[in-house]
Amino acid sequence: MSRATVELDFFGMEKANSGKTQFQKFLDRRRSFRGIQGAISKMNPELIKSVISSGSTNRSPVDWRKSFSVPSSPKEDRSSPVSSLPILNPAFMSSSSEDGPDTAPLTIFYNGTVSVFNVPRDKAESIFKLAVEGSSKNIESTDSSKISNPSSEQQNLLETRNGDLPIARRKSLQRFLEKRKERLTCASPYAW
Amino acid sequence: MEQNDNKVNKTMTTQPGMSDVVLGCVMPYIDDPKDRDAVSLVCRRWYELDALTRKHLTIALCYTTSPDRLRRRFRHLESLKLKGKPRAAMFNLIPEDWGGYVTPWVNEIAENFNCLKSVHFRRMIVQDSDLEVLARSRGKVLQVLKLDKCSGFSTDGLLHVGRMCRQLRTLFLEESSIIEKDGQWLHELAVNNSVLMTLNFYMTDLVKVRFEDLELIARNCRYLVSVKISDCEILDLVGFFHAASVLEEFCGGSFNDQPERYSVVSFPPRLCRLGLTYMGKNEMPIVFPFASLLKKLDLLYALLDTEDHCLLIQRCPNLEVLETRNVIGDRGLEVLARSCKRLKRLRIERGADEQEMEDEEGVVSQRGLMALSQGCLELEYLAVYVSDITNASLQYIGTYSKNLCDFRLVLLDKEERITDLPLDNGVRDLLRGCEKLRRFALYLRPGGLTDVGLGYIGQYSPKVRWMLLGSVGGSDAGLLEFSRGCPSLQKLEVRGCCFSERALAASVMQLTSLRYLWVQGYRASDSGCDLLAMARPFWNIELIPARRIVMTDQVGEADVVEDPAHILAYYSLAGPRTDFPETVIRLDTSATGVEL
Repeated sequence: MSRATVELDFFGMEKANSGKTQFQKFLDRRRSFRGIQGAISKMNPELIKSVISSGSTNRSPVDWRKSFSVPSSPKEDRSSPVSSLPILNPAFMSSSSEDGPDTAPLTIFYNGTVSVFNVPRDKAESIFKLAVEGSSKNIESTDSSKISNPSSEQQNLLETRNGDLPIARRKSLQRFLEKRKERLTCASPYAW
Repeated sequence: MEQNDNKVNKTMTTQPGMSDVVLGCVMPYIDDPKDRDAVSLVCRRWYELDALTRKHLTIALCYTTSPDRLRRRFRHLESLKLKGKPRAAMFNLIPEDWGGYVTPWVNEIAENFNCLKSVHFRRMIVQDSDLEVLARSRGKVLQVLKLDKCSGFSTDGLLHVGRMCRQLRTLFLEESSIIEKDGQWLHELAVNNSVLMTLNFYMTDLVKVRFEDLELIARNCRYLVSVKISDCEILDLVGFFHAASVLEEFCGGSFNDQPERYSVVSFPPRLCRLGLTYMGKNEMPIVFPFASLLKKLDLLYALLDTEDHCLLIQRCPNLEVLETRNVIGDRGLEVLARSCKRLKRLRIERGADEQEMEDEEGVVSQRGLMALSQGCLELEYLAVYVSDITNASLQYIGTYSKNLCDFRLVLLDKEERITDLPLDNGVRDLLRGCEKLRRFALYLRPGGLTDVGLGYIGQYSPKVRWMLLGSVGGSDAGLLEFSRGCPSLQKLEVRGCCFSERALAASVMQLTSLRYLWVQGYRASDSGCDLLAMARPFWNIELIPARRIVMTDQVGEADVVEDPAHILAYYSLAGPRTDFPETVIRLDTSATGVEL
């Protein structure tokens, strides 16, 4: 769970938007993917070099087969793939801000493995969500006695699951609000 | 004399109870559907008499039965109401082609229902050909035609109605999606009909209608009582208002000219139900001369701020129905509570989200609700979107709103911090206090209502027949506790909650009166099969899998959103549906070998 938070801070993609927390912003999208963790484990490590070199220019939507993961390595050696990433990351970060909402590299540190994927932003968000859901399920099952007074962390987890669905608006009102906006824009085009 | 006595005695001993003749005279006076339902279950004779004498039928979901079954039981029906798509369709949550086609019903009506005078289709798909068939076959006797939030037809279909349904008292098209080719249909209606009482094409976006035809209708139809139209310019309707001398209800129109010009508009003398769309603060004064007569006011589509609401509402002491957006604010509600002691129905909808678009004061909270409940003691229907809430305000409603039959509360998600959550105790006290409650909706957020609170809902809603629960509870335990209660619950809608398939299925089996369930947002099982725990005879289970839809937001930008999966389950005598679009999956209970 905390790892997921690190990833969010790391990317800082939602800095521009006001109001909601970064965490909540990612979870504004509603999606359920299954088998992502299964897909991750099938990554081809051979692709790492080609993807790293092409990552900053790659704009295509995610193709799982192009993604990869570095298999777990002994502690002494771990520093080398890790140390190579900080060099790469500023390049990725600047390119991701240039690319805007298109594909950007997603790095996952998990259980001794490092995996880098080239994914569009919305898919990245859904992965984060899935990771949070996965860890929250564990917490829920052990903390069933604390239902009426959830800790703030649990509250966050509940929010991630339940806050996905925004309150839907009635069709008739939606249309009226759109038309009203049109009328105002036509009447005073320089008001904004 | 003795012989007569013997005769009477003989009748009474061979047929205990009333004779058929007597029963046939009494039964037509029984109108309430629940009473009729009870009557039909007494014995075969009463069942048959009910079938012969029942005048009106509402089929809450068209797939629960078939046209054939309807004909076999209620051949002499005079009035029929059919509903199709789930209620969520009104919020853009259901695929357009989900279903609810009127064609098989219209064909049956055309052929066999010789007494049918009134037809009401709600949230269904209607085609021009259906309208033609209906008009041709029933046109001579049809008095009421309501295409209510329907789609799939054009103004060409309405041409048939205008030409052939000359006995129409009511033509109702409100909120239907109609393909507009021209305004000829209204002209046909104007030219062929002189008995029209209610004309409604409100919220239909029909712009090619000519105001001259409206004026013609007003002149020809002496009993024209209610007219609700689309955005026709009000200044063009001066002649219409002059001609519609017995008009009591008017909604629609628009104000595109200088405010001063509207002083020439003079409204009919009996007008007491009003909703002028796009009316702003400068045009509002034209209502003042007869504001004290107003019983119903629709400000949902007006351009008023909080102060305007206060100024208008305080002049309407006879108001019984008010519909508006949350721009009314707490201050407006306080004025309402002081001025409108006869208020029966209040609906406060959600305004725009962007700050610039609505009044800063335009938020409703516990402050407004407390004032309202204390001031408007006759309230029967309350639906409100709030930005803040407390347990105390709900307790006030439980204490004062003793006539409340329908209560709906949605907590908006804009504010991060809410004064007083969870609402367990407030909800409990509201349910215990409002003993007449039949319909109940609560849409909150995580932490808004705990499992304990959800249990209270189950425990304290003995008469509630319909419920919408949004983002409530904390776990499956809450849902299971809830479903141990709610003895009268027939229709349940659940959205944005955290319940698992397994718990949903289990709760369905516990809710004794449940006949319809709709769920969006749930914890799906890996296999997708946990739902089958609720498989049983006559119970249809359908899924609308998660899909991506393009929604235009208020700024006019297209946004691709993920729409989570839906579950729809209902009792049906007609077996599983056969008219599925690709977007709907029928859960085939037989395929998994579950024994039914």
